[in-house]
Amino acid sequence: MNILDYFFDPIFRGPTIGTMLMCLSAALVGAIVLLRRQSLVGEALSHSTYPGVVLGAALAGVLFGESVSNTTMSIFILTGAAIFAFLGWCGIQFLERSLHIRSDAALCLILSLFFGIGVTFASDVQFAYSSLYMQIQMYLFGQAATMTDFHIALYSLLSLLVITIVVVFQRELELVTFDRQYAKTIGVRTFLVEAWITLLLILAIVIGIRSVGIVLMSAMLIAPAAAARQLATSFRSLLTLTALVAVLSAFLGNYLSIEIPALLDAGSLSLPTGPMIVLVATVLCLFALLFSPGRGVVLRLVRRLRFRHRCLCENILKTLWKLGARETHTKAEILQYQSLSKWHLTLILRQLQWEGWLSLSKGNIQLTHAGEQRGGHIVRLHRLWELYLVTCAGAGIERVHRNAEEMEHILTPEIEAELTRLLHNPQKDPHRQPIPPQELL
Amino acid sequence: MNPYYDANVWEFMGIFFRRLFLWEGGLPSDELQIWTLGAVSTSTALLGTLLVLRKMTMVANALSHTILLGIVGAFLLTGMNVMGGLDLTTLLIAAFVMGILTTLSTDLLIRVARLQEDASIGLVFNSLFALGVVVLTLMTRDAHIGTEVVMGNVDALQKSDLRLMGALAGVNLFLIGLFFKEFNLTTFDPGLAHSMGYRPALYSFLLMILVSLSIVAAFRAVGALLVIALIVIPPLTARFWTRSLLGLMSGAIGVGWLGSFVGVALSRHFLSVQGKALSTGGIVVVLLGLLFLLSALIQRFHYLRIRGIVLSKRR
Repeated sequence: MNILDYFFDPIFRGPTIGTMLMCLSAALVGAIVLLRRQSLVGEALSHSTYPGVVLGAALAGVLFGESVSNTTMSIFILTGAAIFAFLGWCGIQFLERSLHIRSDAALCLILSLFFGIGVTFASDVQFAYSSLYMQIQMYLFGQAATMTDFHIALYSLLSLLVITIVVVFQRELELVTFDRQYAKTIGVRTFLVEAWITLLLILAIVIGIRSVGIVLMSAMLIAPAAAARQLATSFRSLLTLTALVAVLSAFLGNYLSIEIPALLDAGSLSLPTGPMIVLVATVLCLFALLFSPGRGVVLRLVRRLRFRHRCLCENILKTLWKLGARETHTKAEILQYQSLSKWHLTLILRQLQWEGWLSLSKGNIQLTHAGEQRGGHIVRLHRLWELYLVTCAGAGIERVHRNAEEMEHILTPEIEAELTRLLHNPQKDPHRQPIPPQELL
Repeated sequence: MNPYYDANVWEFMGIFFRRLFLWEGGLPSDELQIWTLGAVSTSTALLGTLLVLRKMTMVANALSHTILLGIVGAFLLTGMNVMGGLDLTTLLIAAFVMGILTTLSTDLLIRVARLQEDASIGLVFNSLFALGVVVLTLMTRDAHIGTEVVMGNVDALQKSDLRLMGALAGVNLFLIGLFFKEFNLTTFDPGLAHSMGYRPALYSFLLMILVSLSIVAAFRAVGALLVIALIVIPPLTARFWTRSLLGLMSGAIGVGWLGSFVGVALSRHFLSVQGKALSTGGIVVVLLGLLFLLSALIQRFHYLRIRGIVLSKRR
C-alpha cells in the first residue's frame, strides 16, 4: 500500500493521524516528566487508569445498552480514565507524604493495586457485557485500527490543548523544572505550575492509552524524550525534537503493525499498535543514544580512542627524543620504554613517517627536524609540569612523574606560556634534568 | 464433585477447615488455588520484604514485565504452547537469562549511555515487554493473547503448578533462612557488610535470580502485573505492625496467605451467590489493598490517639 494512503484513505487516516496526535502530546509531556525524573510516576498513573476505563465502559453500557455509539463510549472511557489517574496520583501522594513510604514502593503499590481493581471489574464486565469487554481489552495494548474521523477530531482537540498549555507556559515549566528555588524567588507560583504538570501528565496518559495501551504507556513518555535529549541543546529544541521523534515512531509503529503481518502472510491479523510504536520509539532512542554527536556512546568512544592514539604517538616521539634526537634507533629500543605490541608499533611508526615526524630506513628510525621539535616540546611540557607541581602545588618529587605523564598531552600553549612566566623560565626540572628551552623548539 | 459447589463465603470456610481437620483427600480446584496462591505469596512475601527494604521494588516491576520475553523465547525454541504447561528447566533458563539481561541492559544504559536511572528502567522493561507481546502475537496468530499474559488465569491451574510453586517456596525459604544474617546485613548496611568480607553484590544477584524465578512461576497464576501486588503490598502492610526483619517476613507471609485464602473464598462466594465469575487474582489484590489500608488506618488512629494523650497531658 502506498504510504500516502495512510493519510488520505478514509479507513486508514483515522488510525494514522489519531495515533500520531496522541503520541505527540504524550511525548511532549514526557519530556517535562523526564527532566523532572518522574518517568516512573507515569508508569504508575497509566496503570491506574485501567479501572477507570472499565468503569467508564460499563457505565456507558448500562446507560445506553450494548449498541452504544463510539462517541459516547470514548467520552465515558476518557473521563473514567482521567478520574482514576487522578485518584492514583492522590494515592501516591498519600502513601509518600502521610505514610512515609518510599517512592518506588508507593508507585509499585498503586500500580498493582489499581490494576488489580481493574482486573476484578473487567472480569465482572466480561460476563455481563462480553462485547464491551473486547473494547476494554483494546486499551491494554492499544488498538488503532478501529479509530474513525471522530477520533481524529477528539484527539486533535485534546492534543491541541496539551500543546497549547506546554507552549504558553513554556517559561514557567522550564523554570520550575530546572531550578525550583530560583523560580520561587522570582515569583513563579511553583505549586500551581506543578499542579499543571500533573494535570498535563494525566491528560497525556488518558489521550495516549487508546493507541499505545495502558501497559506500555510509560515508554511513550520516556523513549522520544530520551532520544531528543541526546540531541537537544535547549528546552525549546528538546520539545521540538521530542515531538518529531514521537510523530515518526507513531507513524512507523502503525505502519509496521499492518505491514508485518501482511509480509508474513498472516491474513487479517493486525499486531497491537502499542507494542509496535514502543519498539520503534525504543529503536530510535537507542540509535540516538549510540550515535548522537556530542553525547552518543559511539562518538565518545571514538574520541577516547583517538586521544589515546595521539598520546601513544607523542610518547613514541618523546622516547625517541630522549634516546637521542639526532641518532638512529631501532624498534627494540622503543619497546623497552613503551609497552605496546610490535605490529602496533610498526603501524604507528608508518603513520608518523607519513605525517613527516620521522624517517624509516631498514628498521632504522630517525626523527626529522619537525619530529625533534615536537618530541622536545612534549618533554618540555612534562618537566615544566613536574616543576610546577613541586614548587607551586607542594607535591613530593617522587610523586609528580605519573601526573606529568598525563598532563604533557593536555597542556595548551597558553598554559605553557603561563607556567613559563610563573616559574621564571626555568632551566632544570625537580629531578635536575634540563628543560628544553622554548627558543630551540 | 467439588465440595465447594454453591457455597457462600462462610460455608466455604467451614468446609475448608473441616476438610483440613479431617484430612479428607482429593484436591478440588478451590483448594488447589488456595495452596498455589499461598505458595506464591510465601515466595513473594519473603523476597518482597527484602526488595522493599532495599528500595528495589521497581526492579521487581521491571522483571515482571521482561520475563514475558524470556518465556516466549524459551517456548519459541522448544516449540511448545506458551499458556500451556511449563517445563521446569525451560522456566529456570528463561528466568535466569531474562533476570540477567534486564539488569545488565539497564546498567548499560545508565553507565555507558548515561541515561538517567528512572528512564533506563522504564525504557528497558517496556521495550522488552513490547517485543515479547509482538513475538507472542505473531507466534500464536492471536491478537488477544497479550491480555491473558497480563492478567493471568487462576482457573487454569493444575497440580503440576502447585508442585512447582511449593518447591519454589521451599527453595526461597531455605535460601533466605540459610543466608538470613547475610541478607539482613547487606540490606541495612552494605558498607559494613563489605568491610566484614561479605559481598553485597553477590546477595543482590542471588536475590534478583530468586525474584525472577518466583515471578516466572507466579506468571500463570496471577499474571505479570498482579504478581507485583503480591511482592509489594504484604511487606508494606506488615511494616505497620512490626519492625524486625523476621517479623516483617513472617507478617508479610501471613498477610499473603490471608489474602489468598479469603480471596479464593470470596471468588467462590460471588460465583455461587451472585453468579459472577470474578477474577480470583484481582480479588486477592483488592483484598491485600484493603488489608493495607486497614492497617494504615489503625496505626494512624493509634498514632493520633497517643499524640492526643501526650498533648492533653502537656496542657
